[in-house]
Amino acid sequence: MDLPLAFDSQLATQLLVNGLTLGSLYALIALGYTMVYGILKLLNFAHGDVYMVGAFVGFGVLNAFGGPLSPNIAIAPLIALMFLGAMLGSGALGVVIERFAYRPLRDAPRIAPLISALGVSFFLQNSVLLLFGASFRSYNSFLLGSDHPQQFVPGPLTDAAFVVNGVNVQLVQIIVLALTFGLMVALTLLVARTKIGKAMRATAYDREAAAMMGIDVDRVIASTFLIGSMLAGAAGVMFGLLFSQIFHFMGFLAGLKGFTAAVVGGIGSIPGAMLGGILVGLAEAFATGYAGGRWSDLIVFGILIFVLLVRPSGLLGTRAIQKV
Amino acid sequence: MDSGNIPDLPVPPDARDRPRVGVDEWVAQVEHRRARYSGLAGLAYRGISFIPPPGRLALFAAFAATLPLWMGRGDLFTYGIFTLLYALLGLGLNVVVGYAGLLDLGYVAFFGFGAYFYAELSSPQYGIHWSSAAAIPVVVVATALLGLVLGISSRRLLGDYLAIVTLFFGQAFVVFVNVGNPTVGGKGLSGGPNGIADIDPLDLFGYELTTRNQQYYFLLLSVVVALVGLHTLSESRTGRAWRALREDPLAAETMTIPVKRLKLMAFAFGAGIAGFAGCIFASVLTAVTAGNFDLPLLITIYAVVILGGLGSITGVVLGAIVINVSFQFLAPENPQNNARILFYAVLLLLLILSLRPWWRLGAVVGGVVGFGILTRLIVEAVAPSWAGGPVVEGGRLAGAIKEWVVIPTPAHDRFGNWAYVCLVVAILILTLVQGWMRTALLVPIVYLAAVVWENSFVEQPAVARWILFGSLLIGLMTLRPQGLLGTPRVEVV
Amino acid sequence: MRKRATAIAALLALAALAIVAAASAKTDRGAAPATSDSSLINCGKTRTIGVAAPVTGPAASIGAQQDRWARFFVSRYNASHKKKLRVVGGDTQLPDTAQAIQVAERFASNSQILGVVGPAGSQEVQVSTAPLKQGGLAFVSGSATRTSLTVDGSRKGFFFRVVPNDDQQGPRVASWIRTKLRATRVVVVDAQNTYSTGLSDTVERILKAAGVNVRRETVSESTVTDFSSLVARIPADTQVVYVPWQLAPKAQLFGQQLRAAGKNARLFGSDGLFDPDNFKIPGSLISFFPIDLKSKVIAAYRRGPGKGQSELFGLPSYVAADVVARAIDKACANGSASRAEVRRFVARTNIPKKQSLLGFTVRFVQTVKAPLGPGDMQRPADFGIYQIGASGAYNRVG
Repeated sequence: MDLPLAFDSQLATQLLVNGLTLGSLYALIALGYTMVYGILKLLNFAHGDVYMVGAFVGFGVLNAFGGPLSPNIAIAPLIALMFLGAMLGSGALGVVIERFAYRPLRDAPRIAPLISALGVSFFLQNSVLLLFGASFRSYNSFLLGSDHPQQFVPGPLTDAAFVVNGVNVQLVQIIVLALTFGLMVALTLLVARTKIGKAMRATAYDREAAAMMGIDVDRVIASTFLIGSMLAGAAGVMFGLLFSQIFHFMGFLAGLKGFTAAVVGGIGSIPGAMLGGILVGLAEAFATGYAGGRWSDLIVFGILIFVLLVRPSGLLGTRAIQKV
Repeated sequence: MDSGNIPDLPVPPDARDRPRVGVDEWVAQVEHRRARYSGLAGLAYRGISFIPPPGRLALFAAFAATLPLWMGRGDLFTYGIFTLLYALLGLGLNVVVGYAGLLDLGYVAFFGFGAYFYAELSSPQYGIHWSSAAAIPVVVVATALLGLVLGISSRRLLGDYLAIVTLFFGQAFVVFVNVGNPTVGGKGLSGGPNGIADIDPLDLFGYELTTRNQQYYFLLLSVVVALVGLHTLSESRTGRAWRALREDPLAAETMTIPVKRLKLMAFAFGAGIAGFAGCIFASVLTAVTAGNFDLPLLITIYAVVILGGLGSITGVVLGAIVINVSFQFLAPENPQNNARILFYAVLLLLLILSLRPWWRLGAVVGGVVGFGILTRLIVEAVAPSWAGGPVVEGGRLAGAIKEWVVIPTPAHDRFGNWAYVCLVVAILILTLVQGWMRTALLVPIVYLAAVVWENSFVEQPAVARWILFGSLLIGLMTLRPQGLLGTPRVEVV
Repeated sequence: MRKRATAIAALLALAALAIVAAASAKTDRGAAPATSDSSLINCGKTRTIGVAAPVTGPAASIGAQQDRWARFFVSRYNASHKKKLRVVGGDTQLPDTAQAIQVAERFASNSQILGVVGPAGSQEVQVSTAPLKQGGLAFVSGSATRTSLTVDGSRKGFFFRVVPNDDQQGPRVASWIRTKLRATRVVVVDAQNTYSTGLSDTVERILKAAGVNVRRETVSESTVTDFSSLVARIPADTQVVYVPWQLAPKAQLFGQQLRAAGKNARLFGSDGLFDPDNFKIPGSLISFFPIDLKSKVIAAYRRGPGKGQSELFGLPSYVAADVVARAIDKACANGSASRAEVRRFVARTNIPKKQSLLGFTVRFVQTVKAPLGPGDMQRPADFGIYQIGASGAYNRVG
């Protein structure tokens, strides 16, 4: 029987750090869901697999530069290149998926692209299975950049960057949190200040009117998918750096959590997706930490259902005004 | 003024690219509605609509009844029993999603609840061994009540939020049954990861259904009864009210249709059907575990319903047939020769359907064969290790394939992967070009597809099955977004 | 009018159904002589075996290994024998047992298949039993360890396994923890699948009875990717953490996160984690067969289908295929064989220690002798204990 642990500020801090890290990943994936939903009212179930492809592209870049145990270049530029490669690869994939699987269905009932998305998901997962095989691939982030990887001397990524309340906050966690924060700020600025952001907001509000105003709707939608997928690709590399092991099925599970986060935060709302992601991450960390694996899933569901029953349109979602 | 020549009207751009600014959606969809009745699919649609529903039912039942007479036991199980099971589940989901328009992502939990409850009542788990005639009604009613409870949550939640809550419910069921497993009466209630095993076979008034044939006929009977019942329901006031609810809940409420009550009824009804399917599933499999009722099954049932066309009963049955038959035909345990013949037959069929006139088709096919033989001869002459590898599971076609397709020796094992990537890119490019360039590009692409098949897919048939299945879903939905027999609905976004 | 037509058509359809049903229900057409127990199949130059493993889906990383090892055996067999073996693969997609039963039904109906390697999961064996028994096929599993599968006696003569069951591995591990490690504070982490729960229950029960302080944790190893919250729950003074998991990379991550959190508990893995390429936490212990890590066969696998990895999770499937192949050889000695003959020869398997990749003689038990049942391997089949050295190498210590 899993006994709940007594309150312990060190444990709480540890779980807070874990939850924020996990939540950042979910938030990035949720952003992709929410942006696409805002514009197309489409639930892009293939998004999780774009995230998975991003992780594999990052792995490919890592291997191209010698692999985790013997990299050819210094670790900081290597990680930057991995992020760049994954973001570009995922972004391109997102645009291609939109062009071929969703554009023909743009005026179809909302549920039709759902099946197309599932088809894309099967296709991507199993293409990766075909090309890379079923075994887990490892970023070996524990040993990445280590001077003596054969002797299992840990690399700099898992070193404690600083210590809070007795809890080690690892360097890689700092990188993830900082990068997520940076990407979110960049996204908010993009949507609020730039022309393309304005076009996105207009298209999300009313697609026909936006087209009337001379906005190239196809390009706006492609840009939305591009940005959402780039965020997912970045999240994929972050996953690899944090948890090392990537495999073809990881997109399905993470996509589900990201979708949950997007809806709980209020689907269609960008700050909502960020908040929802952090909430889901924290809920998971605290539920696992205090109640153990047996009941943690059910507790997380309970928390999220409670949130939805209290605020039926999600945390920051707007109650849709129904036009009669 | 000019004397009389009215200048030609400018040709409007492709219907898909035309902006819909200022055009009423209903009017804008007229092309779609006309297109429905043209072409092969339109012919099929008209043919099916011509036969009245009782006739369709009779045809289906008659055909299905003959299956055990010519199918082996294994095939009957995979093609027959599972198609009917998916059809039954699809019919239930159709009530919730197709009639009432509620996105229920936890539907499989009702299926699981029905299966587990039946298992509790007819297995050594608690030593209760009720006859199915008693157990099944109890299970169905209990599952319907559970559906009612879930439906209550739909009072406050709309659309995607309802979807999420039902998804939680579905996942919570799986977790509860797999891990939660509270101890009741001295034993774990659901058996934990081991599930409940040694479930009694269906036992109707003393007659036990132990052979696959018997189970198949019982399932067929249930499906026929369900079809009749659902058709009657759909033609009744309740069915019309559901359809009104689906089209526009606000307008329906304004028309004094009891929206909240209808939603609850939809949930309960769908859940009841799922519960019944669960009983049959449990007794056919004789053991249930949590893994049977997880998201992959949900995805399959949704594909069945949407592919067949939301709201259309015949569509659901057709969708179940298309999805299960195509999925099982590509199964790795089928002899590889079958899959290969199917693959080339489908390629040929696609070419026939898309290339007119006949001389063009002949040119492309001849071109593919010639191109292939030529390529292989060149490769063999230039770099012999790149041609001359063995044909996997060739059978009688092996000789012909060896001459035609480039198969490198096992030393170049990445060739298949690279060919696959090239093929995907090439197909995407193919959809972008038009006219003679498309016909010209078809030749190397079809050959490349054959190369990928022989080098990569035959060696990993299980994975190839999923890739082809995913491509099928994408292709079918982009070609026919309303599903095979659905009505193209106009949604005012 | 329409309603009446519907009703009449429905009644007609039902009547037709009832007639045909009554006529053909009793004789199961599929069980025609060609696929039943004792009918003779002409062996010919190529004999067919079925291999059932979860090649796609969440368990693909371990199922694909089993499939590869079984096919590796077949390729080696074909290279050294005049009569060839052919593999028909089935994808059972753990954890959805609905696929496993379909594969089993298909195998049973395929008149050419003489024996089956698999299925992989204990719950898959549960559902596959009825079709495979009715088809008369012997099925040899390389990873189904639930004790009741053999001990309940219902699969005698049909189901065999080339892995010791949970009630053999559990006590071995528990006694090592208690006597050799002298641990008093132990955490058992259960991975929420049928393999793991069985072992966890056994080990926890034995250790508790001996007065050891045991704490039970749960985690879903297939879906959880971040173990840091679980690590936070493990007390800092824990001496041994028993992880009866199947996914070595996940256990590696768990171990690394444990170390990064400053907790020095020793990891003890079960046979599912024996993977020198992926699970390399120095100081950890693992129970596995007493194999010869330097065996030529393993080296050949690394060079060939393993592509640099040994993928030892699938090694028992190699032995399972060996068992089936030998039985088919003996049954086909006179040119034709029946499935019943193959079964009998499987039950009488005797692979001497030198030829067995598992490190001990492979012979099967015929009657119930707790904790062994008909289909389990006889003594000296048992586990050895390995320790991982400072450089990640596996050394046998017990």
